[in-house]
This record gives sequence, structure tokens and C-alpha cells, in this order.
Amino acid sequence: MSSQTLPEAFRLRAGNFNLLVLRLLDPRPEAVLPALGDQFRRAPGFLRFAPIVIGLADLEAAPEEVDFRGLVEGLHKLEIVPIGTSGGSQAMKQAAQHAGLPPLRAVGAEAEPAPPPEAIPVPPAAAATEAAPRPDFSGSGRAAMLVAEPVRSGQRIYAQGADLIVTATVNAGAEIIADGNIHVYGALRGRAVAGAADDATARIFALNFDPELVAIAGFYAVREGLGDAPIGKPTQVRLEGEEMRFAPLG
Amino acid sequence: MAQVIVVTSGKGGVGKTTTSAAVATGLAQRGKKTVVIDFDVGLRNLDLIMGVERRVVFDIVNVIQGEARLNQALIRDKRVDTLAILPASQTRDKDALTREGVSTIIEELSADFDYILCDSPAGIEKGALLALYFADQAIVVTNPEVSSVRDSDRILGVLQSKSKRAEEKKDKVKEHLLVTRYDPNRVERGEMLKLEDVREILAIPLLGVIPENESVLKASNTGTPVIMDTESVAGQAYKDAVGRFLGEDLPHRFLEPAKKPGLFQRLFGGRAA
Repeated sequence: MSSQTLPEAFRLRAGNFNLLVLRLLDPRPEAVLPALGDQFRRAPGFLRFAPIVIGLADLEAAPEEVDFRGLVEGLHKLEIVPIGTSGGSQAMKQAAQHAGLPPLRAVGAEAEPAPPPEAIPVPPAAAATEAAPRPDFSGSGRAAMLVAEPVRSGQRIYAQGADLIVTATVNAGAEIIADGNIHVYGALRGRAVAGAADDATARIFALNFDPELVAIAGFYAVREGLGDAPIGKPTQVRLEGEEMRFAPLG
Repeated sequence: MAQVIVVTSGKGGVGKTTTSAAVATGLAQRGKKTVVIDFDVGLRNLDLIMGVERRVVFDIVNVIQGEARLNQALIRDKRVDTLAILPASQTRDKDALTREGVSTIIEELSADFDYILCDSPAGIEKGALLALYFADQAIVVTNPEVSSVRDSDRILGVLQSKSKRAEEKKDKVKEHLLVTRYDPNRVERGEMLKLEDVREILAIPLLGVIPENESVLKASNTGTPVIMDTESVAGQAYKDAVGRFLGEDLPHRFLEPAKKPGLFQRLFGGRAA
């Protein structure tokens, strides 16, 4: 009887989060930390107390060579909060776990794709304020999410594990994100982030290319960095190595 | 059932209250029983534009807090007998508005009126959210200027996600674009956004274009909704917009620069068109 009248103490729900991944290339904290501190000093406040995932996939070292405890301590001193690891061998994951870093599983990723080594992470945008439609995975073949209404300033749409097709405009101040490709059959004036689950083969297509920012697999270009991109024209964006390429469509 | 129409914009100073007063008066002149509610609690203006500021006894906050009955707070217009105004409070803030209170007021007004216009405050905070929450239709007031267009875009997104219709997954709020303070001469000189650009970005049906016109300021200062100034271009443009709102197919006027404005026209811009 009494258990029925007790107020609910908690609810357990799944949640998806946007996190930065610190891909280790060198196992030594003394090599990683100063460079990291230097980079973050140039963006003060940007990552203060930001949770971060330590990426182990690129690390060519034996598990016993990595000083996880030293790394965790050093990160805390930089006011960065490591919360777990992604990728890496079984032994490496275990070594990290002993230092209090549990392995996290990336959404939709069975095996970690080989990432571009110097990917610049896109800062996680402010929390979505407007509800974004959920992707519809009905139909066969590769999943795609279709948006037929203009995406307006302040709206944020994420096609998780899917391509995103927008048949209207994406206005300035809006943000569209897809784990796969992005197609905009209208004007792209906001931000477009393709290959968000670290897929460097993802592309962005827009009928009228006029974006604030485009990003593929963590590489990004703001409007000022678009150079000789065909602004206002039908355009395809893809990643070639670490270079973003803008080519006219058709 | 009355239709609830929110007049909104995101940005301030673009002409929401002028539009609320003009459209409400225009609908009432067509014989529609119309009430216009000022949601800008703390910065009330609608009563001034409507010329009823000396007749305000109770306001919307009094009604919500049970200090007055709705009928005591409603001010009947002396010029158009199918028009009523529910003023905002000047001495409270937006927290005095509650969704339940507003819901009760709108329900009660629905029985007596054909149209309920909600004059939204600027911004996307509580007052603006409450003004648009119950809307069946929205008149989005936009100036031909980038920041105004972007704020209107934002408010359209809010309408699609935070209105009652959106929450209950009913048919979406019917959206109308009203471009105000349009100056064809400045558009021609490239100082203002072109109408086509505004329409292209916001991608909602165009209800009307109100030209920049001195008659609007004069109307505000004399407490006469500008639609009553039938000589002025702004008044005529509002009249057209009301006609279109009621389903009439009217061509858009005042989109081209007036030919060679003479001294008389420059002095009395509204009168000459």
C-alpha cells in the first residue's frame, strides 16, 4: 500500500547528447595537455567545464603506455571534464575504465570509422529551443528525413543516422544537422552540418548556396572562409582530405 | 466560434499595435463583431492608438485576477459599434498574465465576437507566447529590413511549435505576412529590402504592404486608427489588407515610387496619393 502513495523519485530515460571528442594521438599527458591548454586559452570560456569524450581509435600505443590517471587529472586542471572513452581496443578500454573512464558507444556507429586526424570539432550549438520533427525511417534503402516546411531562424533539425532532405529554404539563424548527407532544394542560408557522426564522405547539396556555416565530419567553414565558393548557385560541398571543396552542381 | 488572430513580429517598433488597431477597426467596419486585446502588459499602447485611454477603468490583469468582470473591462468603441477593446495594465508586468486566465477570457469572448485580435508585445518571452498561444491565424508584421525579417522568421517557428494548435497537433496556425513601412523610393535606392526578398525568405502568403506614410504617426497621436483616414495611402492599404483577409482578391498597391513627388506631396505625403 505504502509503495503506491510514495512520490516518484526518478525516471530513467534514454538521451542523446552532443559531445566533443578529444582524439588522442600521443599517449603522454605531458605532450597532450600543454597543447590543449594553449588551444583553449585562445577560446576563453568556450569549453569551461565542458564534458569531453576521449577518443582512443587513433592511438598507436600499448594500453600500459597511456597514463589515463595523469590525463584525467590534467584535464580537470584545465577545467575540462572527461566522462568516458570511445573506440580503441578492448584492452585499451579496460585500462581507461580503471581510471574511471567508461567506454561510450557512439550512436549508430558499430565500428569507428577512420577519422581525419586533425578534425576541428564543431562546438555543440545551444540547446534546441524548438521541437524538431523526428526522422521517419519508413520505406526501403538508406534512411532519409524529409522536411517540407521552411526551417526558420532558431529552429534546429537533426536527422539522426540518416540523410536530411529539405524541400524549402533554410533561413539564416536555423541549423540543420544530419549524420548523412544534406540536400536543400531551396536556399541554404543557415548552418548545415553533414556527416555529424564523423562521416567524412557525407556531402551537402544546396540549390541556392548562401550559408552561414557548413561542416562535414567536424571540419567547418564559416561564411568568411568560403573563399571562391559559388555563392547563390547550385552547389555541392564535400571533404577532400582536410580540404572542403565547393563545386557547382549540374 | 470566434477566430483568434495574433498580430505579432518578434521585433519591436515595426507596427504591431498600429496594425492591430487598423485591422480590428477594419473588420468591425465590415460588420464583424471584433475585440482587440492588448497583451503588452506594462507597456500598454493600444488604448492610445485607439483613442480610448481616458476611458480605461479595468484591464486584462484585473479580469484575470478576478477584480473585475470581463464586461466591466471591455471598452466599446464610440465610432464603430461592433468594436471593443480590452486594455493592458500599465502598472503590472507580464507575469500577471496566466495561460488559464487568458484561456478563460478568450473562451468568454468567443461567445460574443467573430474575431478576437491579440496585439502581441515584442520579443519571444511570456507575453508574446501567451498572445500567440490561442491563435487560429497570425498576422506577422515585418519591416523591409534584415533584422525584422529574421525576427519574423523566428516568430513563425515559434508559432509552429509553441501555439496551442501546434501542441495539440491540429491544423497549423494560418499565417499572413504584412509588410509595413515600405518605402518604394528607398527600395529603389537599395536601402530597403525588396518585397520579393522578404516574401522569399518568409515564404508565407502576403496579406498586404503598408507604405511608409506620415498619416500613421498623425493617426497614432490623435488616437484614430489609420484605417479611418480613408484619404491616406496607409489607410487604403490597410483597408485592402482587411478585404484580402476576408477573402477578397485585390491587387497590391503602392509598391512603386510615386512619380515626381511635388512639394505638396512631400509635405502631405498621405493626402496626395
